[in-house]
Amino acid sequence: MTTETSDVTRPTAAVPAPVITLAEVSKWYGNVVAVNDVSFEVGPGITGLLGPNGAGKSTLLHMMAGLLRASSGDVTILGEPTTENPEIYRKVGIVLEREAVYGTLTGWDFVLMNAKLHGLADPVAATRQAIERVDMAYAQDRQTGGYSKGMKQRIKIAAAIVHDPQVLILDEPFNGADPRQRLHMIDMLRAMAREGRTIVFSSHILEEMERLGDRVLVIVSGRLAASGDFRAIRRLMVDRPHTFRVDSTDNRRLAQALVGDPAVTGVELDGDRLLVRTNDYGRFTLEVPRIAQREGVTVRELAPSDESLESVFEYLVAGVRGGAGGES
Amino acid sequence: MIPLIASVTLRQLTRQRRILLLVLLALVPVFLAVVFRIVADETSPSDPAEFTSGILATFVVNLVLPLTALLIGTSALGQDIEEGTIAYLLAKPLARWKVIVAKVLAAWALTVAVVLISVVGVGLIVLVGNEGTSLIPAFVAAVLAGSLAYVVIFVALSLRFSRSLIIGLAYVFVWEAIISQFITGVRFLSVRAYTVGIADGLTEVSSDILDRSLSMTPALILLALLVVLGSLYAVRVLTCYQISERV
Repeated sequence: MTTETSDVTRPTAAVPAPVITLAEVSKWYGNVVAVNDVSFEVGPGITGLLGPNGAGKSTLLHMMAGLLRASSGDVTILGEPTTENPEIYRKVGIVLEREAVYGTLTGWDFVLMNAKLHGLADPVAATRQAIERVDMAYAQDRQTGGYSKGMKQRIKIAAAIVHDPQVLILDEPFNGADPRQRLHMIDMLRAMAREGRTIVFSSHILEEMERLGDRVLVIVSGRLAASGDFRAIRRLMVDRPHTFRVDSTDNRRLAQALVGDPAVTGVELDGDRLLVRTNDYGRFTLEVPRIAQREGVTVRELAPSDESLESVFEYLVAGVRGGAGGES
Repeated sequence: MIPLIASVTLRQLTRQRRILLLVLLALVPVFLAVVFRIVADETSPSDPAEFTSGILATFVVNLVLPLTALLIGTSALGQDIEEGTIAYLLAKPLARWKVIVAKVLAAWALTVAVVLISVVGVGLIVLVGNEGTSLIPAFVAAVLAGSLAYVVIFVALSLRFSRSLIIGLAYVFVWEAIISQFITGVRFLSVRAYTVGIADGLTEVSSDILDRSLSMTPALILLALLVVLGSLYAVRVLTCYQISERV
């Protein structure tokens, strides 16, 4: 875990200057700690905050967006503090998760209002461009109150990018979007990232990270549990202990044979059920057929029994706690 | 920027059904004025000027004005806070005082529009062709001043407290209406007293209710002070305003 975060906290000279910096940031509400001593830097491109609901992703994004003050630590964008600094919003666009739109305004008027509030020189042109970018021109004359969740999300993105910001912060942007809208949004954010913008978004869904997150920060229980590119994060998740459910023609015989294998850390035979634990996902999945063949047993089923993202997070939480214990 | 925010706010406010109820409430004194006109001889007081100053200083200034200002003032920004649209105002390179000024202006304009239905309606129906027409401009000016002070208080309250409506009700109907009856010093901290004081200072018509009020100069000074300090406070709170998904 420590090695995963260390490459982030010590950028080399060759790395371009970070756009968003969080230094030892904590946020607590009374006795409840929402974010606990988090430090990281975000550069241009797409960065995803991955974590279960309630992990503190939203709190972190609100602090980056300058809408929430950190209880301790510093949050800066392009070297400037984000709170009590309205000028920062010339460079930053924000899309919050809440479905807030002025229901009586049309999509066009809503985006135009945002353009005018930014004091843009040509608000009409900026509005047209932003609405085209999110592919909402067909519905721009309808009241936003009648939009679907996915449409509201897109018109909110249009409002957030109307001033052509260098930094875009999105809280759970894919909530409520159908698969087609999701793909379109992913393409759009990718295109914006290629233009050199810095995009940070949060999600609790692993597949969204795979599609979009060039870099992933895993947030668990208010702490930064891991960070790196998606492949590194996935490897980390794959290298954790796995439990497989095995069903074969002779479970007892197979269990005895598996116990001797170095990839296996535990075998549990409970009536007809055979559960096998391993620390080495890759080796284990190769070894099982080989051992079964040697023993003359036919494997009917070999399935991971704990593949839910929740169990991945549980594992990462344990890692965070372990790491914290080691420091003290 | 201020006209833009104010016009969007007016749109939000006039969409609310409570505005209709407030207009109906403002029509009650007008209805009473019609009744007075028809059966003037049997009413008490029967003098048109005394009736007008009485109904304006009590029903309108005690009830219609504070209630209208309360419901409109607490939702001018309160609605944005409740619905989350405040984020669109905050995430802009926009001086916070402009937001407060725009919100106050919008709420003030709408409050005045509602309350003037009462003032002008009663005044025209009862006083035309009678003595004491100076009550009309006097109360128009007083309502303009009083509603500004109320609106500033309620906008500031809505920023600071999520239950601003309850606190505002307590201020108007406990502090101003009841406590001031027993402790005369309270009138120095009562928008109602300022409003009546200004009306009194602007008309030569004298009546019991008007004469018991503050005099014009202290009323104006205190009201101006309240508006300035209240606005500064609201700007300060908005500057440090925090939004989170947690409520």
